Amino acid sequence: MSVQTRLERNQKVRLIDGRTVTVIDKLGEGGQGIVYKVRLDNTGKEKALKWYYVSKLNDPKGFYKHLQDNIESGPPSSAFIWPEQLTEWTNNTFGYIMDLYPSGYVGFSKFITARANFASATAMVDAAINIVKAFEALHNKGYNYQDLNDGNFSINPNDGSVLICDNDNVMGHGGYSGILGKSRYMAPEIVRGEKKPDKLTDRFSLAVVLFILFMGDHPLEGKKTNVPALTSKYEKKFFGEEPVFIYDKNNDSNRPIPGLHRNAIARWKYFPSYVKEAFQQSFSKESLLKGDSNSRLLEAMWIHVLMRLKSSLVKCPHCNSDVFIESDRDMSCPDCKNNIHIIGYIKFPKRANINVCIPIYGGAKLYDYHIVPAEKNSSSCAGIVLEKPGKVGLKNLSKLKWTIKAPDGSSATRDTNEVAVLGKGFTIDFGKGIVGEVMSN
Amino acid sequence: MGGILDKVEMTRRMCPVIFLLDTSGSMAGDVIGRVNAAIEGVLPELQSMNDVNGDAEIKIAIMAFSSGPNWVTGDQLVSPDNLAWNSLDAAGPTAMGAAFRELNNKLSVDKGFMKRASGSVAPVLFLLSDGAPTDDYESGLQKLKNNNWYKVAIRVAIGYGDADDNILAEFTGNTETVLHTNNPEDLKNMIRFVSITSSMVASRKVDPGNSNNNPDDNTAVLADEIEARGGEEAAAKGEISAAKADEAW
Repeated sequence: MSVQTRLERNQKVRLIDGRTVTVIDKLGEGGQGIVYKVRLDNTGKEKALKWYYVSKLNDPKGFYKHLQDNIESGPPSSAFIWPEQLTEWTNNTFGYIMDLYPSGYVGFSKFITARANFASATAMVDAAINIVKAFEALHNKGYNYQDLNDGNFSINPNDGSVLICDNDNVMGHGGYSGILGKSRYMAPEIVRGEKKPDKLTDRFSLAVVLFILFMGDHPLEGKKTNVPALTSKYEKKFFGEEPVFIYDKNNDSNRPIPGLHRNAIARWKYFPSYVKEAFQQSFSKESLLKGDSNSRLLEAMWIHVLMRLKSSLVKCPHCNSDVFIESDRDMSCPDCKNNIHIIGYIKFPKRANINVCIPIYGGAKLYDYHIVPAEKNSSSCAGIVLEKPGKVGLKNLSKLKWTIKAPDGSSATRDTNEVAVLGKGFTIDFGKGIVGEVMSN
Repeated sequence: MGGILDKVEMTRRMCPVIFLLDTSGSMAGDVIGRVNAAIEGVLPELQSMNDVNGDAEIKIAIMAFSSGPNWVTGDQLVSPDNLAWNSLDAAGPTAMGAAFRELNNKLSVDKGFMKRASGSVAPVLFLLSDGAPTDDYESGLQKLKNNNWYKVAIRVAIGYGDADDNILAEFTGNTETVLHTNNPEDLKNMIRFVSITSSMVASRKVDPGNSNNNPDDNTAVLADEIEARGGEEAAAKGEISAAKADEAW
């Protein structure tokens, strides 16, 4: 059987809806095929065409049908560069077209190799939030990704917006694309051969991606994994049979090595306790060795953790560096080491059993997410903490009327752009049923 | 380092890609010219792969062998972008046995190329020859076959013209990773195809799949990959090349 594994420039390929595309250029190649830039002959619009190495597919006919189903069902959200139309079978193989990447996006791998970096700490946290939201949308649609790794998404370094590509292995619940995933991103139970990819194993890979995004090193690579040659035996051991988180709470056998895992050592200290705990839970012994579903954070839980982080970005009063601060305790600045005193926090009702709060510290921000029930918008600022000698306040930047009550029974309302002075034991009703409580440390 | 956004490149394993290039007299003229052009063209592509690979960093070494082995890249592996490529000349016999013995010396952590603080993945060993060995290649190969790096390596060879493909297959241990051509232009395409495909396999840019029973038989993974990409025929053919290997779409 002769297969046309590569297309020629100017070659025409027919789509199943009768339209044709003309090959313009090659864009890249991967394990499953080559991606070309093509032009739709009827409109002149440029698209990307993924062209398969058909022998790399376990069941090419089944896969073709699978892609057709995904195309019909549509993308989970606008963050996905989703297959748009299949080609006809052509010389014993096939492909599909999708949108080209808009400009401004950089592959996540380039952040890993430090060829790209975020314009701001907010963009970094927003990127994490956007990645989590994309996979939440995917899982909510009943899909799982199966092969989540550093090569699957691109990020705009300026605003943290995210695009997910390589969506052809996305499967409905119970489906199996034949791809187990990429080494170092696969859940340990897959490496051990106990399981095929599903939603729960996606969540492990998601935690790896988030860890790498923030810390710049791999969560399971430290002292224990430092061998001259990474053979399959070691790979299975480090990522399947005996994985240990580099910052495991109870086991320090795989700590990062100074001089080698420089990012992990330098960056771990920049993150507040609740972020560290979320990673310690995600990569706990139970999660790594038993695939324990309770250890793996649901996407919704990550959003609550990450929104808390986003709210907590302020300037160090001593050295003016950007810092993520704690809420319920003092801390030392990771840059200048001076103490940062945090007097308290506003506590919101828990969500998905995760604490929701913002520190009471000048510059800390409140988002619509905090004050509007079920609000998904993570970027719309609804308030900011202000400080002046002897006083702290919360400026209302939302369109809602806030009602503030003091323990002595007095109350007041604050409209847009007005400032509510905060005192111990105060409550704020934000106008849509959410009440925050001022807690002092 | 300091600052909430400061980062260096993630700790990556090394992915050694080692070329053994026959520069015997019979390669002189057009043929060695194509080899030079091919290697020169492959280097920036390997560097582009390094820019976007979070798992492993390709480092290369190039040995030219004729009357004896000569590491033209020096006594350490080098980054593809740090290499100013000086064209190779062809003259002399084909001392392949000596080349194997020298490769064996370098496939060592203590005395050779393989020392890296963060460790290494299986290397690529790429042999190009256009003729039969003029020395005792068998004892050299025997030494190499006992080397643990050789055992897990991705071994691939291109035979040009009068090359004895059976001997090349003894080196690769797999007839499917020996390609052959008699056409100089095809040779250039083939060198590119083999270098890029084997480097992708080695640096984990492709899914190794579960087709082979021995998970450390990386040469078998490459054999599957060559087959999937259209085999010898496709390898010999030029293709549309992207302006940059990592260009986004």
